Formats: sequence, structure tokens, C-alpha cells
Amino acid sequence: MSSMLEVRDVAKYFGGVKALDGVSLTVPEKGLIGLIGPNGSGKTTLFNVITGFYVPDRGSVLFRESNDLVRIDGLNPNEVFKRGIVRTFQIPRLFNSLTVLENLLVTPLGQRGENPVRALLRNSWSAQERELAKKAIELLKAFNMLRYANSKISELSAAHIKMLETIRGLMTPAKLYLLDEPAAGVDYLMAKELFTYVRRLRDEHNLTFFIIEHRLEILMEYVDYVYVLHNGKLLSEGKPQEVISDPKVIEAYIGV
Amino acid sequence: MIGFDIVGFMISWLTLFGIYAILALTLNLESGTAGITNFGKVVFYGVGAYVSATLTAYLILILNGVDVSETPPYGIRGIILLGELGNKNPLLNIGLLVLSLVIAFAVSGVLGYLLTYPILRVGPAFVGFTLLSSGELLRIFLQHYEPVGASKGLMAIPTPFGWIADSRLREVTYLGLVLGLLAVTYVVTHRLVNSPLGRTLRALRDDEIAALCLGKHVPRIKATILFIGSGVAGMAGVLLTYYLTSVNPNMFVPAVTFNVWAMIILGGFGNLKGSLLGASVITFVDRVLTFVTPQLGIAAISPDYLRWVIVGLLIVVVLLVNPRGLLPEKPIRTPAVDVILEEFRGESK
Ligand SMILES: Nc1ncnc2c1ncn2[C@@H]1O[C@H](COP(=O)(O)OP(=O)(O)OP(=O)(O)O)[C@@H](O)[C@H]1O
Ligand SMILES: [Mg+2]
Repeated sequence: MSSMLEVRDVAKYFGGVKALDGVSLTVPEKGLIGLIGPNGSGKTTLFNVITGFYVPDRGSVLFRESNDLVRIDGLNPNEVFKRGIVRTFQIPRLFNSLTVLENLLVTPLGQRGENPVRALLRNSWSAQERELAKKAIELLKAFNMLRYANSKISELSAAHIKMLETIRGLMTPAKLYLLDEPAAGVDYLMAKELFTYVRRLRDEHNLTFFIIEHRLEILMEYVDYVYVLHNGKLLSEGKPQEVISDPKVIEAYIGV
Repeated sequence: MIGFDIVGFMISWLTLFGIYAILALTLNLESGTAGITNFGKVVFYGVGAYVSATLTAYLILILNGVDVSETPPYGIRGIILLGELGNKNPLLNIGLLVLSLVIAFAVSGVLGYLLTYPILRVGPAFVGFTLLSSGELLRIFLQHYEPVGASKGLMAIPTPFGWIADSRLREVTYLGLVLGLLAVTYVVTHRLVNSPLGRTLRALRDDEIAALCLGKHVPRIKATILFIGSGVAGMAGVLLTYYLTSVNPNMFVPAVTFNVWAMIILGGFGNLKGSLLGASVITFVDRVLTFVTPQLGIAAISPDYLRWVIVGLLIVVVLLVNPRGLLPEKPIRTPAVDVILEEFRGESK
């Protein structure tokens, strides 16, 4: 299977801290790939490098663009998004003064009404706006959240917040999803539901997922392949069962 | 109170209200909706005022064949000539008004865009203080720049309706112009807020990082909003010049900016009607003090100080009752609201 994302020998240092120290990994197209590792092992930093928040001190990040792999390291986050990468955050970042529906409607690029001159002429954008609203409603229905359409973010449960942050990317033709601890703070059943949705998205929409998660008991049930980071280096990789029984991994987790 | 001129009071209050409400609406778009801490509103207002004063004074003299290198408009002879020549040609006066509005919009707008573009990549407080100090730099520059009259400024500036003989009619016509521009500003800001752009602006205000991750070009969007807001503030400056018929650097102190901030805080952050309300309350207090204090013969308390005390008290009281101001921010109205309501109605059937 061809790769969607390739990280090649990436290093990122913060002063003396080697947050990433030569990491290479591949996320295949339509993969559901896990990224685990003890606290401070560099997982979020890797996401930050991929999405353009940090320029790596060494190495490169490549992303699929039709039939080629193109370098995306060094691009700004907004440009990375435009290439087709959506991310969520360890601590969710939604727009708190907007409703759930509006949070979804912010996402699509190329909205006519975002142009200040066209914004003045309602007729020039209202048809597109209605289309987008219908699309957002379909999404909310599919994820059982329609009744929250007009709710403020503060009225949602932790699980719904994580879910909303994930599905807002579906308002665009994004290809790769980077989820940072989607199950954190979510109860067991909801977390499983969330991962079931993710798997459905992968299967039905041909999307690719790269997921950081500390709750291994849930993650391992869903992913096809797992990478393990430790002190900024790749410690192990493989199918979930292989990784879980790898003595190095067990030691890293218990040794912390 | 003998001979209290109620009509005169109303005209002067409403004119001042109109000018300040334009400033408040645009500041509310920039700071209330988009979350840009613009502590430099006075810069763009002042630039607009100076653009129209300079343009009008120089062009009136030049077009009447006066050699401005010998008789500049800030000299005594220039001032006298402006008075004599200023109101002879109504078409010229109105033409100068239109020209001033257009050029003030362009100059203030471009200045807003340029000033903020490089600094918007840093934190909000930094943006605020950079704009604040730009205002002071501009004021100090004007104080020493001879062609615009240095610290004395420009005086006896011919007004668009100076040719109307009856002074009441002239004032009312001018008020009509001010309120007309206010109406346009309201419609424009209201449409911008209630559009996908308005939604994106609120998103930027809520979480810039998240907006960036959704592909929004945050600095460019903010600079564009500052272009619009500053351009319109420049037009408000034009209105001020023709209302007072003079400009000088001391009119454009940072206190002007904070007065406009007081209006949007009082009226409600992010609510445009609130800005109108805030502007009307604060300009009313200002006018009452200006009209009343001389009649009471109180010399000990300057209306200037009293105004700030009253405005401060008002804000404290209103914010104690409702921290979001008199009128809190409303949800955005776009056709999406109708679509979801149709959906819910269809479901309940
Ligand atoms: N902006 C930064 N400045 C300085 N040090 C940083 C910065 N970001 C991360 N680090 C350091 O880099 C290391 C890796 O952090 P990172 O957030 O990537 O870990 P993580 O694997 O996501 O951990 P967790 O599971 O706790 O979220 C840590 O030692 C952290 O303190
Ligand atoms: Mg992390």
C-alpha cells in the first residue's frame, strides 16, 4: 500500500531537550495507525512538526499529493490544512462563542461569504451557505449529534467535544487526520463509540488516521499498526499484539 | 436655566453621536468581533481629519489662484483668505467633501493595513501597545510639521455646506450627512458580522490557533478587517474636521481611543446596537456637561474631569449588573439558521 505520510529522520530540540531525535515512520493510505509512548516522549511534538507549528531541526515530512510525495515541513499550519491534513488537540480547541453548527461551518475553505466585499451581498453567498448547512446537518445526524446543533460548546460532554473536533474536518475534503488523545477524559463506552466512528470513517470515506492515545486497551482494539516513541526516538513498531508484548515497550511504560 | 437652546443641543449632540458611533461600530467589528486589541483608533481618525483639513485648505487656496508657498493656509493671511474664499462655490465645497472622504478612507485604510500586518503575528497586548504608541508618534510628528500648521493646526476650514446662509439649516443638513454615513456604516458592519466572514472573525477571536489549523490565513484576515475599520474611521475624521472647521494635534490624544472603547464596553462587546447605545450615552454625558457647566458657573470642576468620572462610574455600574455590557452579543444570522430551523420543524412533524 502506498504511503500517505512519511516522516524521515525528524529531529526537534528545545534547548537541551531532545523532544524528537531522528524519528522515521510511515502512515499508509487508509491506515488506522496508533502512536503511543510514555508522557513526554515526543508524540505531540511530532504532530506539531507535521502540522507546521514547528520547523524540524533535521529531517523532512512528506505528504501524498495525487501520485507524488511532497515535502510539507516548513509550511505554515494553514497551508498544511489546505493540503489535506486535519488535526485535533490534546486539549480540544473549539470556538466557544459559536454553536455546534457554526463550529462546523467555520471549516470549509473557499466560502464566498468570507470575502469582505461578497459578504455585503447576501445573494452571492446564501445558496452556498445553505448547502454547507445541509452538509453539516447530515454530519451531525450521522454522528448522533443533531440535537446539539444550536448548543454552545460549554453545554457538550467531553466525548461530544472530542467528536465535534474530529468531524469538523469532514466538512472539507481532508485526507489525513491526526488525533491527539481522542479518548482522554471520555468514559469507556463513549470512547469505544468514538473509535468505532473513526473506523467507519476510514472504511466509508477512505480517510487515513494517525492517533495518539494513552488508553492502550481501547486503541489496540482498533488500529492496524502502532509506533512507540520513547525519549524522542522510535522504540518499537508493529501490529498491536506484537507491540504490547514487546519487552522494551513494557519496560519503557513501567520504567517511567 | 435661561435661554437653553434645546434644538441647538440636540443638533450638536446628534452630530457628535453620529461621528463617535461610526468609530464605535468599526472598533466593535475589529475588537469586539475579531478580537484585535486596537488601542490606536485615534490614529486613523486623526489621519482622516488631517487629510480632509489639508486637502480642503490647500485646494481652496490654490484653485482661487493663491500662491500657497507665500500665503500658506496656516498663516494669518491664509486663514483670512480661507474665510473670504471658502464658501463661494457650493459645487467645489461638496466636491472637496467627496474627495476628502475617498482619500481619507484610502489613506487611513492602507495605513491600518500596513501598520498592523507585520505586528499581528505577535500577541494581542503587543498589537494594542504598538498601535497606541503609533498614535502618539503621529501626534508628535504633527506638532512639529509646519505644512499642516504644526501645534496650531489648521483653522477656518471651509465646510461642505458653508454656502447655506441660514445657520440652523446648515447644521441640520450637516447632521443629515453624518447620520447618513452612520447608517451606511451600520449596514456594512451588520452585514459583515452576519456573514461567513463574521463567523470566521469570531472563530479567530475565540481561538486563533484552531482557526489557523483550519486553514484560515489569520494575519491577512485581521489586516483586512483593520483596513476596513481604519478606512471608515478616517471618514469619521473627515466629518469631525468639517464639524469643528479646524484641526490640531491635541484633538487626537489617546483618550479619544479610550472614549470609543468605553462606548463598546458599555454598550456590549460584539453587539452593534450596543455600540450605538454606548455612543449615544457617552456623547450625551459629554454634551450635557459642555452645555450645563458654564451655565452653573462652576469653575472649580472642569467638565473634562467630570466626564471621565461619570463614564467610569457608568461602566462600573453596568458591568456589575451585566458583565457583557448593556446589550450582549447575539448569535450570527445567516441562512444556516433557517436551514437548521426547517430541519427541526420537519423532524417534530
Ligand atoms: N514548546 C516547547 N518548549 C520546550 N519544551 C517542549 C516544548 N514542547 C514540548 N517540549 C518538551 O518536549 C518533550 C516532548 O513533549 P511532548 O508534548 O511531545 O510529549 P508527549 O509525548 O505528547 O507527552 P504527553 O503524553 O504527556 O502528551 C517534553 O519533554 C516536553 O517538555
Ligand atoms: Mg502530548
